[in-house]
Amino acid sequence: MSARTALSGVLTMAGHEFRLRLRAGRWRWLLGAWFIALAVLLGLMRLALVRSGEEEVGTPMLGGLMLLVLALGLLVVPALTAQSVNGDRERGVLATLQTTLLTPLEIALGKLLAAWGTALVFLAVTLPLVAWCMFEGGVAIGRVAITLLVVALLLGVVCAVGQCLSALLARSTTSAVLSYVFVFALTIGTLVVFTLAVAATTEEREVQQRRFEYTTQIAHPERVWWLLAPNPFVVLADAAPRVEPELNRRGRPERSTVDPLGAMGDAVRETRESDQGDAFASIAPGDREPGGPVWPYGLAFNVALGVGAVALTERRLRTPYRSLPRAVRVA
Amino acid sequence: MEQSTADGLQAAGVRRSFGNVVAVESMSLNAPRGQVTALVGPNGAGKTTLLLVLATLLVPDAGEVSVAGFDPVGDPASVRARTGWMPDSFGSYETLTAREVLEFVAAAYRLPAARRAERAGELLALVHLSEYAERPVHVLSRGQKQRLGLARALVHDPPVLLLDEPAAGLDPRSRIELRALLRGLAGDGRAVLVSSHVLAELEETADRVVLVDRGRTVSQQRMADLDLGQLRPWRLRALDAAALTAALDARGVDHGPPSPAGVEVLLAGDAAAAELLAALVQDRVAVVSCAPVAGSLEAAYLAMTESRR
Repeated sequence: MSARTALSGVLTMAGHEFRLRLRAGRWRWLLGAWFIALAVLLGLMRLALVRSGEEEVGTPMLGGLMLLVLALGLLVVPALTAQSVNGDRERGVLATLQTTLLTPLEIALGKLLAAWGTALVFLAVTLPLVAWCMFEGGVAIGRVAITLLVVALLLGVVCAVGQCLSALLARSTTSAVLSYVFVFALTIGTLVVFTLAVAATTEEREVQQRRFEYTTQIAHPERVWWLLAPNPFVVLADAAPRVEPELNRRGRPERSTVDPLGAMGDAVRETRESDQGDAFASIAPGDREPGGPVWPYGLAFNVALGVGAVALTERRLRTPYRSLPRAVRVA
Repeated sequence: MEQSTADGLQAAGVRRSFGNVVAVESMSLNAPRGQVTALVGPNGAGKTTLLLVLATLLVPDAGEVSVAGFDPVGDPASVRARTGWMPDSFGSYETLTAREVLEFVAAAYRLPAARRAERAGELLALVHLSEYAERPVHVLSRGQKQRLGLARALVHDPPVLLLDEPAAGLDPRSRIELRALLRGLAGDGRAVLVSSHVLAELEETADRVVLVDRGRTVSQQRMADLDLGQLRPWRLRALDAAALTAALDARGVDHGPPSPAGVEVLLAGDAAAAELLAALVQDRVAVVSCAPVAGSLEAAYLAMTESRR
């Protein structure tokens, strides 16, 4: 089969699914509520920044907005795909779809595209708010583009995983719950596991410093930093280009603006630095190994997760079935 | 690849179980092109499972299957391109219009974009849904949805049709139209396999019948051969019931008590009935009707399921 046929198959499926979604929901209300909630929060954020004497509010506003969009997106998106496959089966439309000439991959990709497209509509609705941040000044266009791209990708991954769960599990309520558990594990779970892992890898060491001899505890976040990498907020914050530090009067680089993304990113990169426990060694700058970026690992992990989810969905859509999971009817 | 007209649908020794429940133990059937083949059996006999195997949805545990000359397991795409399947229970895209549903299915069967709208229009006319073309599916009645389901199975003009209970939920007029439609589809050289409980319908539609029970094929024959030599009740009605019973008594034919519906006699097939009728006419009995009490299919079905009670 040619790539062109396959593409048209994917588009057929995506267009159909998108139309079904469009007719099923009260999108105008949902998108309106989404926009208003974000606009109110952004307005409050601006007010808070101005009152605290911040001069350039564009950058922190954008950072805060993107973190909010990601957080709300992670709440909304699992619901978009949690019933993609088993919901169709429950409604009795899956088997007749599988007996058409659409391949399982076309069905999986088409459904994913429609769900992701819906998620991107939510993202598109926030564009006026992004424009507001840019209007405030001091926001590089590259920073806007990269943060939007990362959020879009991360929402796509959640769509793919939700769809995969709906293909694996017979009941749509179970897959919906598990989609939310997945998002919880990715956001809160990574943070908890990382914190526990740091505590677990902490060593005690005897340190002799001239006449003093004491025991110190040395944490080794550099051994477990990767546990934090898949966290969507970490990926977003660390991937956002840093605001160029300005030189202060003494010629030292100094970050003048508050930047929530940059601050989070720096904090995460610090976990990659190895602290040898030599309490005084770190005074001399340059001795410490600079922590490298974390986001490439996190983003790669998430994208791999999404691709794997699509591959698994495709497998589960393949017919004829040799064996059937319990409680699954073919048609 | 062009298939010869002989390629309908063949299944031999098909077996399929789910866990330790055997749904189909050993089924064989032959549905040649140009004929309507009825698949008849009680609930739970395995009809739907067999159709799922034929429709490329289930791999049989054992047995040989060929649909339109292709193997549903080895080459499902070729089978799908040549098979229209209508499941026994199916949902529909409730928010789409009837036309949109058919246009989507046409696209899913890779009909060229220019042809889809035209094909949807043809099919809607065929199943008498043209006036509902722009109405959302959820306003359609059960019978209308059933007809839309049939149209759906015909979108890609397949040479093999697998219809699972197509008459369910249809009103009398729609049933008669379905009958004509199925005859027409077979007349075009298609192999039509129909499972149904409405035996009287199949009686007038089917060329062949496959009786199945408890996962096995019990018999497979032409409808015309169904009641050869089998004694079954016929009902005679005459203008004068007393004259009729007198004539029957005179000829030594056992009969039941006269009722408003007529008098029942046991006869072995059409030839015996014709003979008796000729004799009664000779005796100047004004016979107005002579027909089997139950259809031959019903009789065969009842005989098959006798042991179950």
